[in-house]
Amino acid sequence: MSGNSTLTTGAGSAIGWTQQVDDAPVAITTADDLIAVAGAGGTAWVLDARDGNPVATMTLPGGLLAADFSADGAHLALTGPNGHALWRRSDRRTLIFETGAWSNAARWSGGRGAAAAYEPRLAVASGRRALIVDAEGTLLWRTDPCPSTVTDLRWLRAGRRLALAAYGGVYCHERHSGAPVAEYRYLGSHLRLAVDPAEKWLCSGNQDASIHIWRIRDAADLTMSGYPDKIARLVFDDTGRYLASDGSPDITLWDFSGKGPEGTRPKMLRAHETVTALAWRPGPDAILASSGDEGRLAVWRAASGRPGTRQRPAVEYEHDEPVTALAWSGPNLLVSAERGGTIRARPHPAR
Amino acid sequence: MPPTTTRTTPDALDAPDEQRDTRVPVTVLTGFLGSGKTTLLNRILTENHGLRIAVIENEFGEVGIDDALVVDAEEEIFEMNNGCICCTVRGDLIRILGALMRRRESFDRILIETTGLADPAPVAQTFFMDDEIAAQLRLDAIVTVADAAHILEHLDEVKPAGVENEAIEQVAFADRIVLNKTDLVDQDRLATVIWRLRSINALADILPARRADIALAEVLDVHAFDLDRVLQTDPAFLTETEHQHDASVTSVGIDLPGELDQRKLDTWLGTLLRTRGVDIFRSKGIVALAGSDRQYVFQGVHMLLEAENGREWRADETRGNRLVFIGRNLDRAELNDSFAACLAPVRGRAKKAGQRAVAGASA
Repeated sequence: MSGNSTLTTGAGSAIGWTQQVDDAPVAITTADDLIAVAGAGGTAWVLDARDGNPVATMTLPGGLLAADFSADGAHLALTGPNGHALWRRSDRRTLIFETGAWSNAARWSGGRGAAAAYEPRLAVASGRRALIVDAEGTLLWRTDPCPSTVTDLRWLRAGRRLALAAYGGVYCHERHSGAPVAEYRYLGSHLRLAVDPAEKWLCSGNQDASIHIWRIRDAADLTMSGYPDKIARLVFDDTGRYLASDGSPDITLWDFSGKGPEGTRPKMLRAHETVTALAWRPGPDAILASSGDEGRLAVWRAASGRPGTRQRPAVEYEHDEPVTALAWSGPNLLVSAERGGTIRARPHPAR
Repeated sequence: MPPTTTRTTPDALDAPDEQRDTRVPVTVLTGFLGSGKTTLLNRILTENHGLRIAVIENEFGEVGIDDALVVDAEEEIFEMNNGCICCTVRGDLIRILGALMRRRESFDRILIETTGLADPAPVAQTFFMDDEIAAQLRLDAIVTVADAAHILEHLDEVKPAGVENEAIEQVAFADRIVLNKTDLVDQDRLATVIWRLRSINALADILPARRADIALAEVLDVHAFDLDRVLQTDPAFLTETEHQHDASVTSVGIDLPGELDQRKLDTWLGTLLRTRGVDIFRSKGIVALAGSDRQYVFQGVHMLLEAENGREWRADETRGNRLVFIGRNLDRAELNDSFAACLAPVRGRAKKAGQRAVAGASA
């Protein structure tokens, strides 16, 4: 970590900056005025979103894979091949849990508003199970083992139901239910989960180069296939209308308005050789940021362009190194990380 | 970045690769418990070869080299949703290799140690089936360690119907067989063991050893899956069949002069692998196509096949076709006959041969 970050003035209220970390970043998570960057070697940095200055740093031995801030920014969860870690903002305490289990992802329950009425709970993928812990890291309950290592997880019903992706399908658990209460089965290795904000659709990105979609209510399902590569990135915008996925080199945008995407054609966005990250800007205007291993960062308007045609980005930035992670810090600051450890925050105009 | 967990020692085993392929090489090490696999692994990790090796370990706790990057793996075999039973991959490897490649500056090569009971096919297929892995990593070779004193028992072990004999599969898939503990058997027994291994796998080099004391370059820089090195050395073709103890898994070699009709070849190979791919573990070939000045090379694992144009035929060499299939219940005569039917009509060949002679004369 360099001593001081470089500040650059940008448009709008947000200010741009760059910062350097000593690891290959693999994930960025943001909440409130904090940004956390997780490094492949195991070190994570919490940065101040306003100027990029370091707030805290911590190391999980064995490396890092993912990071998730609680919605209020009070708690940070880190996961890696050898366990997980928790950081608390109030006293900057870090708890390391070297479980020896591969932990692909962690998600805090609850959000702002009504959902925040629930005490935040953390679901941590831990080998073939999910552990559900409180903010102190104390185990509350755990799921029975899935058929494979858990690849991703999502809270549903304001934290009352937990969906796990693993080999053979998506497995839903309720509080203290070791066995799944609902299963969405489909043969194959499910790598990534996405759920729209209204919780109407459950979508998985798959090793066999397809997206599988279930209507949550009745498990009616469909498969979007024909991708050239596995789908490892899959994310809904805040309105729930658009689902963006990789499956390189094109990013596809499925329109879930009306009766859903069945029988429709997706919009195709091409700017990358291999897509490394996708992040929707928070808010209603469906603006997507994407990055690639060729070093390009692109910003797209989902409403532009026609289905079946290739669209050009609204904004592009070029870097010398692969961009490995991407996140929005509020609607006006786009944060990206390059493989060499450069973290860039760019102001993005309100409209 | 925390302290690096890999080793650097002087005296590099091989000079920096001048080839365009900058992908990280991966060696797969198989063999039964007690074969000496761990002895070989420890040698690879401790000798002064200057390579930083990341190890993915299936047999927990066997390797404890303090300064090596070691990741434990639990075998997770995934069937793909395309109806092809050959298309199984190792989900654990996809996950671990993906994470390792995010810190690729901290090692030079990867070694995957599998349990004695692991099927090598999903390991190899992972490198064909996952594009992200294929783009960054190169499967260098499958190295099988066999115990000269016990391998025959393992190969002869009768399994219940539908259960594979893992020892036969590991020998059949190997690019190099380290035949270890040769000092524990007499010369006759050793000859029998070598003959038996050869009858299963005519492609692999057999490296006799006592305490896994082979030159590491023989197992670490093999390029067995590179199309431009397919059948670089002459495979040990076996023609004799009457003495075969167990003919269920064998190697069949085809060596036929002449040029092929590409359409016939494509149809033949496609049909063969589609209908018999489950039984064909490995295949390799260099063939001559009518109308092409380049060798046509292919190699496959079960139904997955890679093929491309290789180097140009030299003026002084006879155009011909050499293929090897390693598999279960292969019919040597039937394979030879059906392949011979892919030869292009003689008139076309004579014309091409004439053109080449002219080119050769004027050169």
